[in-house]
Amino acid sequence: MSLIEPFKLALKSIFSNKLRSILTTLGVIIGVAAVITLVSMGEGAKSYILNQIGAWGVGANSLTIHPGEENSHMVELTLTYEDALALRQKVKNLQYLMPEFVGRGRLIYGKKAYVPGFTMGVSADYPFAYKQKTAEGRFFSAADELGRKRVVVIGKTVAHNLFGELSPVGENIKINGVGFTVVGVLEEKGAILTYDMDDMALIPSTLSELVLGSNKIWEMFITLNSEKQVDQAIKDVKKILIARHRKEDFHIHTQQGFIDIINNVLNAMTGIVSAIAAISLLVGGIGIMNIMLVAVTERTREIGIRKAIGAKQRDIFLQFVFESILITMSGALIGIALGTLSAWGIMAYIKLEAVIAWGAAYTACLVALLVGIFFGVYPAMRAARLDPVEALRFEA
Amino acid sequence: MNNLPVVRIDKVKKVYHMGKVEVLALQEITLNIAKGEFVSIMGPSGCGKSTLMHMIGCLDRPTQGHILLDEVDVDELDDNSLAEIRNKKVGFVFQTFNLLPKLYAIENVELPLIYAGLGFDERRKKAADLLEMVGLKERAFHRPTELSGGQSQRVAIARALANGPSILLADEPTGNLDSRTGDEIIHLFKELNDRGITMIIVTHDQDIANQSKRIVRLKDGLVIADEKLRA
Repeated sequence: MSLIEPFKLALKSIFSNKLRSILTTLGVIIGVAAVITLVSMGEGAKSYILNQIGAWGVGANSLTIHPGEENSHMVELTLTYEDALALRQKVKNLQYLMPEFVGRGRLIYGKKAYVPGFTMGVSADYPFAYKQKTAEGRFFSAADELGRKRVVVIGKTVAHNLFGELSPVGENIKINGVGFTVVGVLEEKGAILTYDMDDMALIPSTLSELVLGSNKIWEMFITLNSEKQVDQAIKDVKKILIARHRKEDFHIHTQQGFIDIINNVLNAMTGIVSAIAAISLLVGGIGIMNIMLVAVTERTREIGIRKAIGAKQRDIFLQFVFESILITMSGALIGIALGTLSAWGIMAYIKLEAVIAWGAAYTACLVALLVGIFFGVYPAMRAARLDPVEALRFEA
Repeated sequence: MNNLPVVRIDKVKKVYHMGKVEVLALQEITLNIAKGEFVSIMGPSGCGKSTLMHMIGCLDRPTQGHILLDEVDVDELDDNSLAEIRNKKVGFVFQTFNLLPKLYAIENVELPLIYAGLGFDERRKKAADLLEMVGLKERAFHRPTELSGGQSQRVAIARALANGPSILLADEPTGNLDSRTGDEIIHLFKELNDRGITMIIVTHDQDIANQSKRIVRLKDGLVIADEKLRA
């Protein structure tokens, strides 16, 4: 007898006991649905976060250099404009280099005065490194930067506070008493965490000392042509800066570290959920074994009849094992469907997109198959080994 | 060829263990049944009739002695081979019909064909032919609960004949039927016997036994009489 016949028999028997089959498989459904929901949501959240990082230009091909030793509580501003120039010349595969000279600037336009959250000296790479477009006008060029042109690009919040509804481009303002011409307005970026990223004014890095009174760099952002070059770039940066400073008074962060943290958190969450699901599947499996044992007793006479007309032990065994596997597998499939649906529902509610957790779905199917086999084998063996004469004598 | 017995029972003894108690079901039975015979086995309850039937039908094994079907010693066969004999060589008809209640009449008839490995189309056709032969063609898609006792027993006989067995065993086949229906069943058995199937039935109804060709009487696990009624 082929495998198809015992499969059909198992299917028939499951459908003739619909309510019992559904109740039996409920444990598996709940366990699998829980895992799929949480993993789908987690994957969705992860891809959202990674997309956000990508949109901000901060990809895996970037690194940031911070002044001061790693883990030191005192922030000593050890990086200078000359350091930035040296790195621009010597780091291989450099794509963009963006020193940030952060300070406070008092902006005056006519009779209005406004102090933005940040006034920063940056390089002309800024719009490329951070994927920042201008809503109006233009960003300053490398020539403007080198030529110490007194031009400024402002964010929407600054524009609104100083100019109201008027177009700021071409207007003259004063920053800390130095005259500037507004050449562009940045496209809106919104808030990241609680920082208003539109509340800033950007000036050429070469004017930082004059306007902000410091040539010290708060942070330097570097991108490379490819993320494979990050490790080499870290070595280059260290070599160049240590040669200039004679000590390692700076530290380097890569975005990979941040991405790793997100991954770790999500993996830990998935691990916990999987453990809960494993317990649920175990309990479900025991329930299935219990029901299968009851079914074997209930159907003793049927088994006797089947044996009397020529069913082999293998035929009976397969019929019952398939029944158990079908119960757990259909539970897994229903659970995957329900879990995916509920993940989509919840994520749609919080305006994010869920990602279908294919990996978790495959795993759930595999585990369900194993649970079905593991908890189905013993009852099926009992059924297969029944003595036909005694089984025929059995009164239900 | 015809002289060789189709069933040879040689000094068969059967002891059951019911917990710690030993029950002697068959003391020592020796009996030969030739091809084409119609044998009735009679005796009071507990004389070992059913036990003997189970052993001829390969549902059980003797404690001692040998059972040979077509000169093959059943004792030397493994469980799978016994299942194959039950499937192909012998057909079993029970007092309580033993049909599967959730299956249609035709599906019940198909069961032995499934275990014989036939495909759907082939076995459905064969089962339909068998139902027609026992006069239940129009009842094919009724469940056993929708059939009368006589009809159920006919379905059971069709099932027993599915794989063309050479021996048909019937254990009190008319026990749950009224006498008129019982007569019809016996009539059907006689027809099958005329076609060359060896019939062995257990009964305690003398009228039914009288319609067979040979009566074997058992008591306390021993053969006490063996009379030939007709050739």
